[in-house]
Amino acid sequence: MITIRDIRKSFDERPVLRGVSIDVRDRETLVVLGRSGGGKSVMLKMILGLLRPDSGSISVDGIDVLSMTYPRLRELRFKFGFLFQGAALFDSLTVGENVALALRRGRAKDELELNESEIADRVSYSLEVVGLKNTERAMPANLSGGMKKRVGLARAIVPSPRYMLYDEPTTGLDMETADEINVLINDLRTKLGVTSIVVTHDIHSAFVVGDRFAILDGGITLTTGTRAEIESSTNEDVRKYISSSLSTSRTRLT
Amino acid sequence: MEVATPEARASRTRGPLVFDAIGRHTISFLEHLGMYFGLIWWMVRNLRNARESGTNFFSQMVQIGNDSIPIVIFVSTFVGMVTAVQSAYQLYSWIPRSVVGGLVIKSVLLELTPLLTALVLAGKVGATITAEIGSMRVTEQVDALEAMGFDSISFLITPRILAGVVMFPVLVVFGDLLAVLGGLFGAVIVAHIPAGAFLAGMKSSFVTRDALFGLTKATIFGYTITSIASYQGYYVSGGSAGVGKATMSTVVLTCLAVVILDFILASTLL
Repeated sequence: MITIRDIRKSFDERPVLRGVSIDVRDRETLVVLGRSGGGKSVMLKMILGLLRPDSGSISVDGIDVLSMTYPRLRELRFKFGFLFQGAALFDSLTVGENVALALRRGRAKDELELNESEIADRVSYSLEVVGLKNTERAMPANLSGGMKKRVGLARAIVPSPRYMLYDEPTTGLDMETADEINVLINDLRTKLGVTSIVVTHDIHSAFVVGDRFAILDGGITLTTGTRAEIESSTNEDVRKYISSSLSTSRTRLT
Repeated sequence: MEVATPEARASRTRGPLVFDAIGRHTISFLEHLGMYFGLIWWMVRNLRNARESGTNFFSQMVQIGNDSIPIVIFVSTFVGMVTAVQSAYQLYSWIPRSVVGGLVIKSVLLELTPLLTALVLAGKVGATITAEIGSMRVTEQVDALEAMGFDSISFLITPRILAGVVMFPVLVVFGDLLAVLGGLFGAVIVAHIPAGAFLAGMKSSFVTRDALFGLTKATIFGYTITSIASYQGYYVSGGSAGVGKATMSTVVLTCLAVVILDFILASTLL
């Protein structure tokens, strides 16, 4: 379980998060919705200690992330898979090496838990899961945006994480590829039973993958709940956000 | 919360704005200095984590060392030739011509090869390191390394600095040899000094301490260039424009650092 309480963060005196509180239950997919630049990705990075909030608290499985020493923080990160918005693949490495990197994490060569052939098998399986069988030798520069996202996803899932964090998984993709990524996210939840947080401003995708939803606006949590709960919310700002997002989504679909 | 724009600050400041500017730049400089030493301290404390970077150290040695050989060959050879020709030109006719050999070996070992190699590599190696790490920062690859459980400083920066410290002296030894050969060529072909006289003068002036001084400088320059370049790349912000700006400021800062250190080392070690 991930618990976020009243986190605040400013950049250059500009407040981005002004008191966000969210609970993520085990084995659920929580979708965090909100406009671009609203601090959703910042919040995601704070869970892994990549950014520190100015105040507030974050705990994973009841352990306070912000007071962890660096070695313990690294151990915590081993439990997570993170799909970055632009996939964040290493250009100088092949697809196979990119995915394998996640299995070598935090270990010197003589300390690896898997031997090279086991690593190759795991890499091959992960690429197969995301529909990119036999692409180990390809270079990231030769892949399309959608394929890069899939490789990023393969790298995130290859160490069998307990938690998955998705940062705008469908942004910049055409509808068909976005739907394929949504199917993958749902498959990972049902097959691997991971707890997931999906950050997006794409409400269409959100409703496909999410169990519960949180809407951030102006740096605060407007509401959290199931689809039915947020759609029946009496909060004017929530209704306005959902209706404008749905109309944008419909325009995209047509 | 109010954002302190330059106009807002100006309206609050009593007295000449120049003091305000000096204060802000001083604070910014000290902030950068603190962050730089913080990064180096982290690197030294977590040296063990660099083992996770695998072959990265060797690939950096190739990139900094092997790939810089052509430019070192070119610069060193011409520096040696020019030194020999200019030395011969400046000598009075009654001074033995063998002195040119001595002047070349002294100038090359003590100053010219270490300094010019460092200045050239400040542009080549320094700019490459900042651009590489900076691009990784703005495309979230540094965050991806951390998210996977790697220590990004140990993975990206430690191998580059260690490779710089190892390879700069090697390049300077290589450059010294080529500069001497270039000097011999310039002395014999252009200044018409007999090869025997040039070599005799060189031999009589050679002191091992001079060579060691040059290598010490090369090691320190190697550390300085790679560490400043890594720092600039690691803390880059502002997208691709920020990477360009950081790369340019790496070239300027490393060149300045090299010439200042050159003076300090000459004053203290000679």
